[in-house]
Amino acid sequence: MRYRIASAVALALSLAVHAVAAAEGAPAQPGAKPPAANASPPKSDANAVTRMEAGKVLYTVVDGYKVDPNTMNGFRAWRAAACDRCHGANQEGLVGPSLIDSLKTLTKEQFVKTVHDGRLEKGMPSWQGSKMVMGHLDGLYAYLKGRSNGDITRAHVEEIEQ
Amino acid sequence: MKIVVAPWLRPALTMATVCLLAAPVLARADADLDKALANPNNWAMQAGDMQNHRYSPLKQINKSNVGKMQVAWMFSTGVLRGHEGAPLVIGDTMYIVSPFPNKVFALDVDTQKIKWRYEPKQDAAVIPQMCCDTVNRGLAFGGNKIFLQQADSTLVALDANTGKVVWSVKNGDPKLGAVNTNAPHVFKDKVITGISGGEWGVRGYITAYDMNTGKQVWRAYSTGPDQEMLMDPEKTMTWTDGAMKPVGADSSIKSWEGDQWKIGGGTTWGWYSYDKNLNLLYYGSGNPSTWNPAQRKGDNKWSMTIFARDLDTGMAKWVFQMTPWDQWDYDGVNEMILADINVKGKPTKALVHFDRNGFGYTLDRVTGALLVAQKYDPAVNWATNVDMKTGRPVVVKKYAPGENGTDFNNKGICPAALGSKDEQPASFDPQTKRFYVPTNHVCMDYEPFQIEYTAGQPYVGATLSMFPAPGGNTMGNFIAWDAGTGKIVQSKPEKFSVWSGALTTAGGIACYGTLEGYLKCVDSNDINKELFKFKTPSGVIGNVFTYQHKGKQYIGVYSGIGGWAGIGMAAGLEKPQEGLGAVGGYHELADYTNLGGSLTVFALPQT
Repeated sequence: MRYRIASAVALALSLAVHAVAAAEGAPAQPGAKPPAANASPPKSDANAVTRMEAGKVLYTVVDGYKVDPNTMNGFRAWRAAACDRCHGANQEGLVGPSLIDSLKTLTKEQFVKTVHDGRLEKGMPSWQGSKMVMGHLDGLYAYLKGRSNGDITRAHVEEIEQ
Repeated sequence: MKIVVAPWLRPALTMATVCLLAAPVLARADADLDKALANPNNWAMQAGDMQNHRYSPLKQINKSNVGKMQVAWMFSTGVLRGHEGAPLVIGDTMYIVSPFPNKVFALDVDTQKIKWRYEPKQDAAVIPQMCCDTVNRGLAFGGNKIFLQQADSTLVALDANTGKVVWSVKNGDPKLGAVNTNAPHVFKDKVITGISGGEWGVRGYITAYDMNTGKQVWRAYSTGPDQEMLMDPEKTMTWTDGAMKPVGADSSIKSWEGDQWKIGGGTTWGWYSYDKNLNLLYYGSGNPSTWNPAQRKGDNKWSMTIFARDLDTGMAKWVFQMTPWDQWDYDGVNEMILADINVKGKPTKALVHFDRNGFGYTLDRVTGALLVAQKYDPAVNWATNVDMKTGRPVVVKKYAPGENGTDFNNKGICPAALGSKDEQPASFDPQTKRFYVPTNHVCMDYEPFQIEYTAGQPYVGATLSMFPAPGGNTMGNFIAWDAGTGKIVQSKPEKFSVWSGALTTAGGIACYGTLEGYLKCVDSNDINKELFKFKTPSGVIGNVFTYQHKGKQYIGVYSGIGGWAGIGMAAGLEKPQEGLGAVGGYHELADYTNLGGSLTVFALPQT
C-alpha cells in the first residue's frame, strides 16, 4: 500500500501538508485537493512519501533525501559497515550486486537472512557480530527499500528536522 | 657465527665467503635465486630483480619488430576476479598463482602441460575481509622452493619440483581483518612478507621468515613502542630540518592520540626491494586508521612511511614519512625503485618512489636524505608542493578533510584515494635512465564520519566518490619520468587508469596493459609511439613480464579485470549520472571488457 503526500509550495503561508492517496505507481498531483490527513505528516514545502509494509510505516522521505529517524539509523549502519565498498556508494553495485536491483526481489526475510548469515563464497560477510548492523536492521532495510523504490533519490540522506 | 653448508648452497660458497670477509653478514645469499636472477632468460622475481626495475636485458623483441608480435599461447586460471602480479619463469617451468582461492600451477613452458598444482583450503569467510578485491600479487622463488602468500595470511613453502608443502606458517589473524594480497619476496635466506587490513584497523607489520624452516626471524611494526618497531631512538634517522637526525624516543606513540596506534593501520602490502651492498630492505607503510582524520589527530607515525631496514636484524636505519596525518587514504606502500642515477647532476644511489599522494620522491637510499619531490600528475591539488626542508607536503586547507571536520563533504580533491598511482609498479630503464610509470588521473569527493572500532569489522569512516580529473575524460596516463629533476618527460593519455605494471627491455620498448584489456608496447624514447597493441580477453591489471626459452623471447601478461579500479565491473550498474562512486568514473569499462582470468603469452612469428 502506498500513500504519496504532496503539498503546494507556499513559503509565506506555512500550509499544513495535505495527503493525497494515489493509486500505486500513479504520479501524485501537486496541489490537488486532498482528503484530511489521517496521520501527522512531516512538515515540508515539497513532496513527502510514506510507504507501508506489513501494516506498518516502512519509511517517510521528504524531498527525496530527508528521512525518518529509523531510516536514518539504517543509513548510519550502511555507512559504518562500509557496505559501499562492495555495493557502491549509490547501491549501484561494484564487486557486490546492485541493491537497487536486489531489493526489488528480496523479501524482508531473505534480506535479514543474507545480512545475518552472509554469503561467504560470494564475498558477503556475516554481520551477526556487528551491533551497528544487527541493531538497525529494520532501518537498513527501510533505507535500502527507499533507494530501490526510487523514493530516496540520493544515497546520502539526512534526518527530517522535527 | 655458525655456518651450515646445505647442498643447495655449495655453488655459492665462494661468493658467500667473500661477503663474510667484506661485511659482518649474518645470513647468506640464496644460491638458487641468485643463479636464477643471473640468467636473463628467467623471470625469477616479481620485478625481475631485487631493485624493482622491471627491466629485462632481452632484446630479440625490439622496437623494430615488436609490431609483429603474435599470441604464442594462452592459459586460463579458471578464476574470475582481479589478476594482479605476474608469473615466475625459472628454467623450463612457469609458476602461476590465481586470486582467491590461490590456486598454484607449475607449467612446462615447452608444452604448457601442468607439471603440478596446489590448491590451499581456505575459509571463504576471508573473501569479505579483503578490502579491494581478492587479488594475489604473485609467488616468490628461492632455495628450490615456491612461496605462496595465501589470502588468509598463511605463508606456504612448496617444493619447486613437486608442489609438496615444505612448511607453512600463519602470518596474521584474518578474523581481525589481517589478510594478505602482497607477493612474498625472497632476499638472501629470508622470505619477507607484509600484511593488509588498514580498513579493519589492523596494526601493520612486516615479517622476515627463515626461507628453509619458516621460523620467524623478526617482525617490525609500523607503529607503537620503539622496540616493537625495531627502531633505535638514537640510530634510526629521519629527514629533519634539512638534515638526517635521530627519530628520538617514542617517536610513534607521541604522534597519536591515546591508544589509537593500536588500531592505527600502517599496513605493508606493496612490493619490497633490497640493496645487496647496503644489506637494506626497503618498503612503505599504508594509511593510518580510520579514514576519519578527526579521530586520530597527530602525525600518525610511522604510517605513510618509507622504511629502510637491515635485512638480518630488521632494525630501521632510516624512515621518511610522506603524508603526516593522512586525510585522503594516500597509502605509502608503492614500490621503492633502487636506481643509480644522476640527481641534479650528481651520481647518486637513489631510491625513487611514486607515492599515492601524487608526488614522485627521490631519496638518497644510503642515508635517507630527501633530494627531489615533485608532482607526477599536474592534476594534484591537495598540496601545493613538498617543503624540502621539512619534507612535509604544504597542504591546501580547502582539500583537507581533517581541517573541515566530520560530516563535511570535501569536493574535488586530486588525486582520489587510489592515488596518482596505486600498487601498479613502474619500471626503470637503465638505458634511458627514465622511469615508466602507470598512473591514475582521478579525483574525489571525500566525506569523513565518526566510526567506532569493532574487532573484525570494517573500520573505514569515510565515504567517497571518484571521477576523472577536471578538463577531460581520460582517467590515466602512462608517463616517462626523470627522477633526477622531478619532471615528466612525456605523458601518454589513456582512457582509464593504467593499472598494470610496466616492463622495459633492452629492445628499446616499454609495455603495459590497460583496463579495457589491451597489451601495449611503446618506444622507450618516445612513449607516444605505440608500436604494438593487442586486445586480451579481459581488462589488464597484471604486470608485464618477459623470458626467453630455447632461443625465443616471450612477453606475457595476465588479464582479468578487478582490483580497486575494476570493481565497478560487476553487473547491475545504474545509469552513469547516478553512479558517482568508483563506478562514476569507471562505469564505461563495462562497454569494453568482462571478467575472466587468463595469461596471454606473445612472441615473434616463426621465420
